[in-house]
Amino acid sequence: GNGEIVVNEANFVRKCIAAESSQDDLWGKLICTNFKISFITHNSIPQQKFQYVHHLLGEHDIPLACVDQVVTVNDAKGKQKVLGSNQKLKFNPTELILYCKDFRIVRFRFDEAGPESAKKVCLAIAHYSQPADPQLLFGFEFAQSRQYGSSGNIIERVNGVDPGGGCQTPLFDRPSDWDREIKRTGASEWRVCSINEGYTVSPSLPEYFVVPASMADLDLKQYACSYTGQRIPMWCWNHSNGSSLVRMSSICDVQQQRKLDQRVSSAITKSHPQRSEVLTSDLDKTLPSIQEVQAALIKLRQSCVIEPFEESEEKWLSSMENSRWTEYVRAFLRHAVEVVYMLEGKRVSVSLQEEEDRDLCCVVASLVQLMLDPHCRSLVGFQALVQKEWVMAGHRFLDRCNHLKKNDKEEAPLFLLFLDCVWQLMNQYPAAFEFTETYLTVLSDSMWIPVFSTFLFNCPQQRAEYSREFVHSKSIPLGNEQALKFPPVWDWSQQFTLKDQTLFNNPLYVGKGATCVQNGTVKTFRRTKQRNYSSTVRGVPSALKNGLRGDVDTLSRRNSLVARLRPDFSQAREVTETPCERFTREWFSRPTDLQGLLLPQLLPTHVTLWRLYFLRWVPEASISQGGAITAFHKLSLLADEIESLQNQLRQYNTSGGVGGTPASTPNPAHPEHGRMYFKCTPSPNRAASTPEYLSSSFPFSPVGNLCRRSILGTPLTKFLNGAKIWLSTETLANETV
Amino acid sequence: SRSDRSSQAKPASAMSSDSASTNELSPELRVIRSLKLYFYETFFFMKKMSFFFACKYLAKDVTYICPFIGALRGTLTVTNYRLFFKCMDRDQSLALDIPLGVVSRVEKIGGTSSRGEVSYGVVCKDMRNLQFAHRQPDDTLKKSIFEVLMKYAYPISNSLAFFAYDYEQIFPENGWKVFDALAESKRQGLPNESWRISKVNDHYELCDSYPSTLVVPVTIPDEDLRRIAAFRAKGRIPVLSWIHPETQATVVRCSQPMVGVNSKRCKEDEKLLQAIMDANAQSHKLFIFDARPSVNATANKMKGGGYESEDAYQNAELVFLDIHNIHVMRESLRKLKEVVYPNIEESHWLSNLESTHWLEHIKVILAGALRIADKVESGKTSVVVHCSDGWDRTAQLTSLAMLMLDSHYRTIRGFEVLVEKEWVSFGHRFQMRIGHGDKNHTDADRSPVFLQFIDCVWQMIRQFPTAFEFNEYFLITILDHLYSCLFGTFMCNSEQQRLKEELPKKTLSLWSYINSQLEEFTNPFYVNYSSHVLFPVVSMRHLELWVGYYIRWNPRMRPQEPVHQRYKELLAKRSELQKRVEELRREVANKAASLTSERAGSPTRSITPVQTFV
Repeated sequence: GNGEIVVNEANFVRKCIAAESSQDDLWGKLICTNFKISFITHNSIPQQKFQYVHHLLGEHDIPLACVDQVVTVNDAKGKQKVLGSNQKLKFNPTELILYCKDFRIVRFRFDEAGPESAKKVCLAIAHYSQPADPQLLFGFEFAQSRQYGSSGNIIERVNGVDPGGGCQTPLFDRPSDWDREIKRTGASEWRVCSINEGYTVSPSLPEYFVVPASMADLDLKQYACSYTGQRIPMWCWNHSNGSSLVRMSSICDVQQQRKLDQRVSSAITKSHPQRSEVLTSDLDKTLPSIQEVQAALIKLRQSCVIEPFEESEEKWLSSMENSRWTEYVRAFLRHAVEVVYMLEGKRVSVSLQEEEDRDLCCVVASLVQLMLDPHCRSLVGFQALVQKEWVMAGHRFLDRCNHLKKNDKEEAPLFLLFLDCVWQLMNQYPAAFEFTETYLTVLSDSMWIPVFSTFLFNCPQQRAEYSREFVHSKSIPLGNEQALKFPPVWDWSQQFTLKDQTLFNNPLYVGKGATCVQNGTVKTFRRTKQRNYSSTVRGVPSALKNGLRGDVDTLSRRNSLVARLRPDFSQAREVTETPCERFTREWFSRPTDLQGLLLPQLLPTHVTLWRLYFLRWVPEASISQGGAITAFHKLSLLADEIESLQNQLRQYNTSGGVGGTPASTPNPAHPEHGRMYFKCTPSPNRAASTPEYLSSSFPFSPVGNLCRRSILGTPLTKFLNGAKIWLSTETLANETV
Repeated sequence: SRSDRSSQAKPASAMSSDSASTNELSPELRVIRSLKLYFYETFFFMKKMSFFFACKYLAKDVTYICPFIGALRGTLTVTNYRLFFKCMDRDQSLALDIPLGVVSRVEKIGGTSSRGEVSYGVVCKDMRNLQFAHRQPDDTLKKSIFEVLMKYAYPISNSLAFFAYDYEQIFPENGWKVFDALAESKRQGLPNESWRISKVNDHYELCDSYPSTLVVPVTIPDEDLRRIAAFRAKGRIPVLSWIHPETQATVVRCSQPMVGVNSKRCKEDEKLLQAIMDANAQSHKLFIFDARPSVNATANKMKGGGYESEDAYQNAELVFLDIHNIHVMRESLRKLKEVVYPNIEESHWLSNLESTHWLEHIKVILAGALRIADKVESGKTSVVVHCSDGWDRTAQLTSLAMLMLDSHYRTIRGFEVLVEKEWVSFGHRFQMRIGHGDKNHTDADRSPVFLQFIDCVWQMIRQFPTAFEFNEYFLITILDHLYSCLFGTFMCNSEQQRLKEELPKKTLSLWSYINSQLEEFTNPFYVNYSSHVLFPVVSMRHLELWVGYYIRWNPRMRPQEPVHQRYKELLAKRSELQKRVEELRREVANKAASLTSERAGSPTRSITPVQTFV
C-alpha cells in the first residue's frame, strides 16, 4: 500500500552466496518493482546470526536507485553485456550481476528459470533502474500514497513525518528555524530575509535565508542578478566572537565585481561587533573538482571490491594512494581548518566562494561548523547542519547521485566525502560525537533509497516544482495542501525499529550535560603536565621539515652520517611557520575540550580508510568477533549500566520524602527505553562475553555479497588459499555486444 | 664506581605525585617516569651534594640539533646507564633521556667548524637519530663526549659490565619466577599418557641453546633423542611447545633436518615425527611448516641442511611459509626508518611505506601463524614448525600461533610466560640479534626478529580490542627494555648462558617492574573469553603501521584521543552513582522502617530486611 507495484518477476532463480560452489545458494523468486529488486526466498542465509531489520527493504532487496550497473551474462555463449535503459538483449542471460552504488555486488543465476522470463526480468531491472523522468522515481508514488493513502484520503501527518518522530530536526524551510539558529549562535546583526519566497529571486536558494541586517531587500534583489545562479551571499554560522561564516557563488557580471565585493564585504563587516574585515576563501582554486572526487571514488571502489582480493594485496597501499580519496579527504579537512583559523584565531568573518556555491561550499561550510560548534556533533545538530548546508543550500543531490542516470559527468560523491571527513574526526575524537559510524553509514545508504526529500532533489525549488507537476499530471486532488510532502530522512522510524536506532548512539559521547565526573581522581587524568613540554615540542611547523630534509637524507644514508649543521635554524622556524600552522600547533599543545573547538590531525598516518563503509561487504576483510565494535559493545554495557543507575536515582529523587512506599520503589529502567543497543543484563555472572555475531562489518553482513565465499562457517584454509572474486575488471571490459 | 642507581636515594614520593599524569606525557618523558629513576630531579640533587659517581661526563653548551624544533642549547650528561640532555634555553623545556643500550652507533660528522665545534650523530636502535654539536675541549687530554659515549655505550666492546648488574631496585615480585617450565607444562596438562618430560638436556649437553626441560613423546627414549640431535641443526630436536586441551593436537618446534645434498635420513627422527602424529588420535596426518621460502630451504641443502622429504616422512605434508631471513628483515626495517624518521613525506606516505615491505613481512609472518593455528584448531592436526636453526622465524610462528590458540597467553602474566618460554628459554639469540653493548653496528647477525613478533601482537590487538589483557603501552615498554639493558630479561643468547652469567641472581627481570604496576599496562576493554581462538584477518586492508611505536618521536604524531581515559571516567561515574543509589536505598529503607515502627507504635529499633532494588 505504499505505491509499490511489481513490474516483472522470474521464478526458480538462484542467488549466489559463494563463488566456487553453489551449495549455499538460495532459491527463490526475483522480482522487479518500481522501487526495488526483491528476492523472495524461504531459504535462510547460512551462518547469518544477526540482521538488522529495515522497514522499507527486505534482507535481499536492493533499491533500484542503488543499482549502478546491470550486467547480464550468458556463460555458455561466453557473452556479457552491460544493460542500459531500453536496450535489447540478443542472448538469454544465464546470470545477472548487479553492481551497486553502496559497493555491493550481487549475483543471480537463471539455470532453472525460463529463458524468456529471465530475459524479461533483466530488461525490466535495467529499465526501471534508469528512469527517464524524475517522476518515475519511486519517491513520488511513495509520497502520494503516504499523503493520500490508497483510498485517496489525506492522512494526518505533520510534514510527512510521524509526530514525535525524528523531527526535532529543523528543516530550515521556514523563517522560524533560521531565527532560532540566529539566536543560538548569537548572530544579532543578521536577519532572515524572505525575498526568495516562491523562488522568485534565485532558483537554487531556499525561500528563507539569512543576510546582514544592514542590507535592504531591494539592494539584495538588485545584487542577485550579478551572481551565478542569483545566489546572493548567504549566512551559515556565527562564532561567539562575532565573526561569521558566509557562502556565495561567484560574481558573473565582471563589471559589477568590485562594487559588489565592496558592498557585500562592508555589510558583513558591519555585522561583526568589532567591524573586522572579511576574508574570501576561493574553494575552486584550492580543492579538487567534483570530477576528481568522483574519479577517486571509482578507483577506490575498484581496489576495495572489484579487484581480486588476494591479487590486490601486494599493491594495496599504493592503490589506496593512487585513488587519491584520502588525499582529498585531507584536502577538505585542511581547508576547513584554515577557515576555522580565520574565524577563531584571526576573529574575522569568512566568505566561502565557489562558482556555483553548491558543492565544495557544502563540504567546507559543514566541516567548519563541526569543528567549531559542539552542537553540530549532537545527532539533532548534525542533522540540522546537513539540512542547512546541503539540502536547503541546494546541493544537487539528484544530479550528484545520478538518480536518473542521465549524465555521468554530473555524478559525484561529495556527500560521501563529507561523511568520510566526519568519520575521520570521529575516529580521532571518539567521545566527541553523539552518533556512531553506523549512523553515518546508514545515512549514506539512505541516499540510494529514493523516497526522502533529503536526497531526491537538486534544490528546494525543484522539489516544489516536481511535486506540483506530479500532482498535476496525476490529477491528484490537492485539498489544502499545496504540494506533495516528501518525508525527510531524519525520521529514522521510517527505516528502522527504535531498538535498531540505538545503534546510532555513541556510548562515549561527552554531551553538554554529561560533563565528566567532578571528583578529583577522574580529573587528574586530564592532561595537566603536558603543557610545559608540549608547548615547545608539539606541533612542529610542517614547512620546517623541508629545511631539514637535506640533512636528514644524508643522516639516514647507510654508511655515512655526514650532515651539516644549519646555523640559521631558529630563524627558519619563524619564517616557515604560517600563522595557521602556529594556531594548530598551539591548539594541539593544549588539552582537548570535547565541547569546544576540535581540529583534526591531517597527517596521512592519521587520516585512514573508513573501513566499515568501504570494506563491510568484503567477506575476506571481515574480522569475525573482532573489530572496533567489540570495544563498542563493552563500552555500551557500561554506559547502559550508568543510565539505569541514573534512572534509579531519578526515581528516588522524584519520589521525594515519601519514599518507601511500593509505588515509589525504583525499578531498573525498561530496557527498551535505554540509549544503548547492547544492554547490561543484571546477572550474577558479570563477565559479559562478546556476542558471536559481532564482526568488523557489524551491523552489515558480507554474506552473499560479491558472490564470494564468506569465511564465516567455511574452513579457513579455503580462504587462505585465496578465494578468487568471480568477476575481474578485464572480463567486464571485454564485454561482447 | 657507583652508578645511576644512587638516584634511588631520591624518595619515591617525587614520582608518585606525578604518576597520575603519566598517560599525558610524551613517550619520551614516559620512559623516564616509568623507569622511576628520575634522573631529572636527581641530577640537580646530586650536583648539590657533589655526589656525582655515576656521571661519566658532563658537558655544558652542547647543541642538540633536534630535527623537529631546530638547534637547542643545553647540558649533556653521560652516565654508565644513559645519555641525558637538558635544554637550557629559556623558552624551551626539552629533555632527552636515552639508555645507552639504545645506541647503535656513534659517529663524528665532518670536521671542526669555524666555531670550533664538532658534531656527531647517534643512531639509535629505537627508530631515531640524534645529532649533537660541541666545542672540542682545548685540553687534549680531556676526552670528548664522543669518546665517552663510545666507551659506555659499548660495555661488551670495552670489557665493562652492563648497567643491569648495578641496577638495584626493590620490586614486590621477582619476575624471574614468572616462568617455570614445569608449571607451564602442568597448566597444559603435561606430562600425560603420550608426552613425557625429559631430563636429557638437564646440563645442556644435548643442545646448548635449548631449555633444560623438554617435552617429548613417551615412546621416544633419551638415546634416540641424542641421535636425533645429531640430525637436527644445532641439536635442536623436535619438542612440544603447546598441546590442544581437547583434541591433543600439538605444536612442535625444532630446527631443519641435516639432510644435505645426499638426502640423508635419520630413522629415529622419522620415528619421532610419527610418534608426534600418533599422540593425536584425531588426525592421521602431520603438517610440517617450514618457515622459509622453498628456494632458501633448498639452498640450505648445499650447507648440509634442508627439509623433510615426503618419502622419508610418509604421513607428513610439508608447507613452506615464505618468511624471509634475518637479513631481508633488517634491510626492511632500515628502509622503514628512512621513511618515518624524522618526518614522513605526506604526499607519498603509503607508497613509501609499501616500498619498505615492512607490513608485507608482518603479513607473511601472521599468515604463517594463522595457518598453523587453523591447522591445529580446525584441522585438529599436530604441526611441526621449523626454519633453519629454529630460533628466529620458528619462535615468531609458534608464539603467535599459541597467542591465537590459547587465551591464557593473552593475559599479562600469560604473555610474559609466552615470551620467556618460546623466546628466552628456547634460545632466541637476543644478545646477537640486538647486539647489546657491542660497537659492531654492521654485524650481520643483528635483526629485528623480536620487534616483528611484538608488531604482530600489536596488529592482533588492533583487530581484537577486547581480547588482550595488556595494552599498547605494555608492548612499547617491552621493546624499550629490549634495548635498554636495564633488566636481565633479554640479555645473553640462551638459558645456559643466562644461568652461567647468573642473570636471575645478579640482575632484575623486566617482569618484576611490569608486574609492580599492572594498572598502567592493563587494557580496560579486556573481556576474558576463555577457550576462544582468535583468527585475525591477515590482509593489507587491516594491517597498519604501528605509528605509536615507529613514529613516536615525531611530536606531530599526537596519539589519538585515548578512549580508555574516557572509559575510566565512565567507570568512576558508575561507582559514584552506585554509591549514591546505595545511600538513597538505605535512606528509603530506614524511612520505611521508621514508618512501620511508628505505625506499630513501637519504639524499638526494628531490623526490617533491607529491600534490594537492583
